[in-house]
Amino acid sequence: MADLGTMALIIAALLCCYAIAGSVLGARAGLPRLIDSARRAVYLNALVLAVATASLVSAFLAKDFSIQYVAEHSNRAMEPVYVWVAFYAGNEGSILFIALALSCLSALAVWKAPKEATILMPYASAIMMVVLFFFITVMLFLANPFATLAQAPPDGRGINPLLAHPGMFFHPPSLMTGLVAVTIPFAVVTGALLAGQTRDQWVDMGRTWGLIAWAILGVGNLLGSWWAYTILGWGGYWGWDPVENAGFMPWLALTAFVHSVMVQKRRGIFRLWNVVLVSAAFFLASFGMFINRGGPVPSVHSFGASTVGWVFLAFLAVAAFSSIAVIAWRYNKISSAQPLDSPLSREAAFLLNNLLLLAIALVTMWGVVFPLISELARGVTVTVARPFYDQINGPIFLALIFLMGVGPLLPWRSASPSDLRRSLLLPSLLALGVVALLALMGVSNWYALASFGLCVLVVSCVVREWVRGTLARSKQGHNLVASFVHLLGSNRPRYGGYIVHLAVVLLALGVTGSSFYSVQKDVVLAQGQREGVGKYEIEYVSSRVEHKPDREEWTANLMVYRGDRPLGAIQAGRTFYPEFRMSSTRAGIRSTPVEDLYVIPSEFLDDGRASFRILVNPLVMWIWVAGPVLIVGALVALWPDKGGVALSGRRRPEAAPAVGSAYSHEL
Amino acid sequence: MLLTPLNWSSLGNLLKFVLPLLVLMAAGFLISCTVKEGAVSLEEQAQALDKTLICPVCPGETIDQSQAELARQMRAIVREMLAQGRSAEEIKQFFVKRYGEGVLASPPKRGFNLVAWATPVGGLALGLLLLALVLGRMTRGRKAASDEEPDEVALRPYLAMVDAELEKEGIGTRKEGSSSEGE
Repeated sequence: MADLGTMALIIAALLCCYAIAGSVLGARAGLPRLIDSARRAVYLNALVLAVATASLVSAFLAKDFSIQYVAEHSNRAMEPVYVWVAFYAGNEGSILFIALALSCLSALAVWKAPKEATILMPYASAIMMVVLFFFITVMLFLANPFATLAQAPPDGRGINPLLAHPGMFFHPPSLMTGLVAVTIPFAVVTGALLAGQTRDQWVDMGRTWGLIAWAILGVGNLLGSWWAYTILGWGGYWGWDPVENAGFMPWLALTAFVHSVMVQKRRGIFRLWNVVLVSAAFFLASFGMFINRGGPVPSVHSFGASTVGWVFLAFLAVAAFSSIAVIAWRYNKISSAQPLDSPLSREAAFLLNNLLLLAIALVTMWGVVFPLISELARGVTVTVARPFYDQINGPIFLALIFLMGVGPLLPWRSASPSDLRRSLLLPSLLALGVVALLALMGVSNWYALASFGLCVLVVSCVVREWVRGTLARSKQGHNLVASFVHLLGSNRPRYGGYIVHLAVVLLALGVTGSSFYSVQKDVVLAQGQREGVGKYEIEYVSSRVEHKPDREEWTANLMVYRGDRPLGAIQAGRTFYPEFRMSSTRAGIRSTPVEDLYVIPSEFLDDGRASFRILVNPLVMWIWVAGPVLIVGALVALWPDKGGVALSGRRRPEAAPAVGSAYSHEL
Repeated sequence: MLLTPLNWSSLGNLLKFVLPLLVLMAAGFLISCTVKEGAVSLEEQAQALDKTLICPVCPGETIDQSQAELARQMRAIVREMLAQGRSAEEIKQFFVKRYGEGVLASPPKRGFNLVAWATPVGGLALGLLLLALVLGRMTRGRKAASDEEPDEVALRPYLAMVDAELEKEGIGTRKEGSSSEGE
């Protein structure tokens, strides 16, 4: 198996070289057959990497501990279903996973490329293959998942217990796929520059793939939060640690990109800016992979532990340098078709939104690097953690939510202040009403009041647009539901965007509620004893210990009451892994739309008592609801028009505003 | 290019919307700086403090999050000192003396560490200024060119008629979606 895997990697590396040389030479010399053949090499590469993947998986299943990676990340006691997790539990396997994901996405991108991207595609696919080649060579020379041991140990080390959780089945794959997927829009845009296609030829494809990467990365981050919430055992879901930030920063840059690329799609402006944004997203994604591959300890100082991290950093530097060089080379050709009409327009609002999103990304980056600066400047170690991000990024987030409400009301080109005032009147009144009501109900935190008020503003603006559009359509004789569906279909990027905005509102509600109104209590309970937290009473009923070959599982059974009325039982557990000298918790959570009751056992004492941390976290459920809503919104925005117009693409006159564009609707 | 005179009248319109935004953000920032520990009970104060102290043996985790023995001891010390009537600042200083500045979850806002706080705020202010300049420059070119085009204002009555017509046919009004695109 090991030989097959290594062979597959070598073949994949050679195929990369062939695809790069073939497509660039073919495009330069005008040899369509060579380009075709290079394209088939891209498809074949996905297949070859699938073979490599399959051979690692079968080594795991066969418990072939002569392969070092298998011995380090699994053991005989591991259930087969965890092979999926063990596969990417370490550096070597996760790089193989990343390479597989990139090869599949590249094949898909090349296969589904729209006609208008024909000229730029050879260059774009060459860039994808360069990135893929990098990952494969890292595996071959530094982190080969198929490296063998001279003597196979009788049993493997087992899987990191923190990873043995359902969240881990989806979080790392979607995060890694999302990070590497940023390569595709970056390759399309840079390929367009290389090919001299400096106008809007790349826009549809760049937007589609930007949105795909954005959605995968967003879901990956959310799943990570969910995993942290249920297993890390501190009652929170986001800690602003460097590893989390690494996945968050490129997502912010992509969010800016998917907004501002719409301006280019509609108006043919912001061309240079979009190139810069998508490149920034790619660098941040590479930086993210660098941090994640640097080592398992979430500390800025752990990079040196692994050489792979430094190779990633070198790759990042080369990529940044060459892409800046390409932009500089084509700088004079990337001009925008027309100037801006008014600073009070949707275009300008998008620019402000970009500025704020990038500000959050840069603040976050600053927080990651400041400890290094302090160390260099004064030799003093400082920590930049949650209080810093909360205080700096919090207000910027609020401003973004405000913009999310106002921005969609601004028409393209130019808005009249009186129109805007008129459309904002009702939503603002509603928002102020809700704020007043909340204040009367005893919500006194200004931050929370502002956040809830702005959320109401956004929702009422979106609903107002939907109602107006639906009513206008229903006058044609359709029923309301049909008109609503029609409305969504009429301008999918726009209405899909609104759905995503609602998902962001849900996130904001959950984050605000749990940040400002969570109640926490640490208690020691004997069996049968009760303790009140908020309006709940918790009774520690019994505990159970199970000894398994690789772990001890302690489970506490608890009963929740409200007054004397029992609400239901919850189970919270703690598992100890002697092999790793590590324990993992599994929180007992009783989730309702209003609040989560969250119980974690901190310690099981010898005298039969146990210490628990009990939290009441308001509104957290909405954070998880936001995930599916976000996916739905992204799908609506992505869904091609009938007959795949969005993908097959139509050429638009360059300078004219998007007449006949696939998305201009209504008229 | 950036130094050319700006189109203040169109910027004025924009400022009407950007100013409230700035005020909001400044207010949020000030509030977040001043109303940090509005906690009431000792336990709530202690929990707030736990979240600002890093456990020295577990990188990246506050003593509130960490389940290490040291974190447990530090939590107990926090409660003890609060019960003795020590202020939050005194307690933080106590831990800084023992474990160094890195024990604080965010750098204190003085001395060299002010750089950590001032850079993002200054950077954002600079970014907004730059955005205003860029918008002013981009729209200035527009005003000069717009002489050839009929002014939107002059067209407004006609556009209103188009709106009414569209409304009648139930296709939606200009303001939704592709408004004023000239399609």
